Amino acid sequence: MFRHNPLRYGTLALLFAGAVYAAFAAGYFGLEILIEILVLAMLVLAIDMVAGFGGMVSLCHGALLGVGAYAYSMLAVKAGVAAPVAMVSAIGITGALAWIIGAVCARTHGIYFIMATLAFGQMAYSYIFETPVFGGDDGLGGIPRLDLSAVGLDTMDSRTFALFALAALVLCYLFAVAVLRSGLGRSLVGVMQSEQRMRALGLVTWRVKADVFGLSGLIAGLAGAISAQHILYISPGLLNWTVSGEALVVVILGGLGTLVGPLVGAAAFVLLKHQVSEVTPYWHLVTGLILIAVVMSRANGIYGFIEDRFAGRLTAKARKSPDAAVPAKEAQNA
Amino acid sequence: MSADPGFWILQTLNALQLSMLLFLLSVGLTVIFGLMHFVNLAHGALYALGAYVAATFAGVAGYWAGFIAAPIAVAALGVLLYWGLIRRMRKSGPMSQVLVTFGLIFALLDLTRIVWGDIAIGIETPALLSGRVSLLGVDYPTYRLFVIVLGGVIFAALAVILSRTQIGAMIRAGVDNDDMAACLGINVEKMFFAVFCVGCALAGLAGAVAAPLLSVTPGMGLEILIPTLIVIVIGGLGSLQGAIAGSLIFGFVQTFGAVLAPQLSSVLIYALLALVLVTRPAGLFPAKGA
Repeated sequence: MFRHNPLRYGTLALLFAGAVYAAFAAGYFGLEILIEILVLAMLVLAIDMVAGFGGMVSLCHGALLGVGAYAYSMLAVKAGVAAPVAMVSAIGITGALAWIIGAVCARTHGIYFIMATLAFGQMAYSYIFETPVFGGDDGLGGIPRLDLSAVGLDTMDSRTFALFALAALVLCYLFAVAVLRSGLGRSLVGVMQSEQRMRALGLVTWRVKADVFGLSGLIAGLAGAISAQHILYISPGLLNWTVSGEALVVVILGGLGTLVGPLVGAAAFVLLKHQVSEVTPYWHLVTGLILIAVVMSRANGIYGFIEDRFAGRLTAKARKSPDAAVPAKEAQNA
Repeated sequence: MSADPGFWILQTLNALQLSMLLFLLSVGLTVIFGLMHFVNLAHGALYALGAYVAATFAGVAGYWAGFIAAPIAVAALGVLLYWGLIRRMRKSGPMSQVLVTFGLIFALLDLTRIVWGDIAIGIETPALLSGRVSLLGVDYPTYRLFVIVLGGVIFAALAVILSRTQIGAMIRAGVDNDDMAACLGINVEKMFFAVFCVGCALAGLAGAVAAPLLSVTPGMGLEILIPTLIVIVIGGLGSLQGAIAGSLIFGFVQTFGAVLAPQLSSVLIYALLALVLVTRPAGLFPAKGA
């Protein structure tokens, strides 16, 4: 089950303070990077929920983000629905779709689950790419942002929008923690550790998986709606599997099953990407080598590594209960 | 158009040619998985590398030099990868393997860009195979026929080796139960190494074969990766029959889908994959041990 510890609280406070500071101190380009980090952070939260606590390594969350973005844009631009209604509907549509995908894929395990989610993600990608209503390869433009002038906020201002995105991320984080702490979240961890045993206990395991998958889809949908409002333009590239692959890499580099780690990973990844691509066009090489090094070091990502060290020092005398440790990522995926 | 038998023959040949290219790639990947339970996502990158090596050698010494050099060079890289990375990742779970090889994709992608640049390289079909052949009343490029025949020959050779020779029996035993095979005195680790190298060589060969058909670009490895994975998942990981069946299904669905229902063609193959996974979670022809 997910638990906070002092290190996690500290890291969260640090991240939050950093984001607020950046939102007020950064220039235009800095704010763009900040919003990019915030959207990616929401996506990796959604992935960590299912992959880190349910063993469901998903390669379709990028596509779910894209579905959220398209649903919001189609409703707001083509159907002329008010932005708040469009946003809520986009989140709902994405969640429902995610639930269906989760329910269908729940029977498969390991590499087959990865492939099944990949198939559904690519199906959505191809469908949107080839259906003229969605604008095809050209994408869709003229997307409105949420109008918050009623409370005196102008979301067209980058700074206000960055703070709005930050608020959304905080909401997503609290939501994810609440889900993982609920009975559903606890059952999910049980299913990850031994599906057979949970079934023997009378649990309908596919329902648990599908429910959490659907709930994580809600977060991905919100991330999509915000991403569409950020760029004000969307294209099918948003749904491509490489988006999911990259987000999954961020989750792993950050620390699977820690929720906090992927947030650190998202910030590090986007900053590193911009730093490295200023120096060399070959940032993939750098990322690839770092990824290989991190995985081969057998640490649970960067944050997991720090946490293990930190926890090791704290518990040198009094051994903590084992379930406070990060769930081992290998055994459940086999 | 659909009433013309020539049209159907032509499309069938196109489908076969695509299938055979995918077969060359997927057979290496699937046997590596079956024997070592190792998911090597960098297989597509090895294929791209094969294409580049073939293009380089073809520019210097003609197509056939590249055709021979590509599998050897890629197998040599496979040896390095095996000793450097894969042997150490053998015992870790599929998740870490997927990630390490994902990192490898990134690294190899940029390495090819550094060495060969971003611009697509074209390579000439060899003079021997550059003409067209009339087959059942259809004019078809000789080179594409060569690809079909090559795929068929390699399938036949692998099928004979796997089912009729002692080495094949040892490999099948290893796929079925590697611990038991090791107890019976088979050096599973060594066999595993050999199979990995052969798989890499086949990926290099596929690259060399694909080079004249498609232009050689750094992204070609990533483009072929998804179709290859679809093939082995539809067919079932770890079996030769699965690889050939999956390749044929993919080739025919893709080719005929593109001609008969262009709007649906790309959705069709993913829908098929989802259907197979839902009804037969382990693929159509899973290896017994996997």
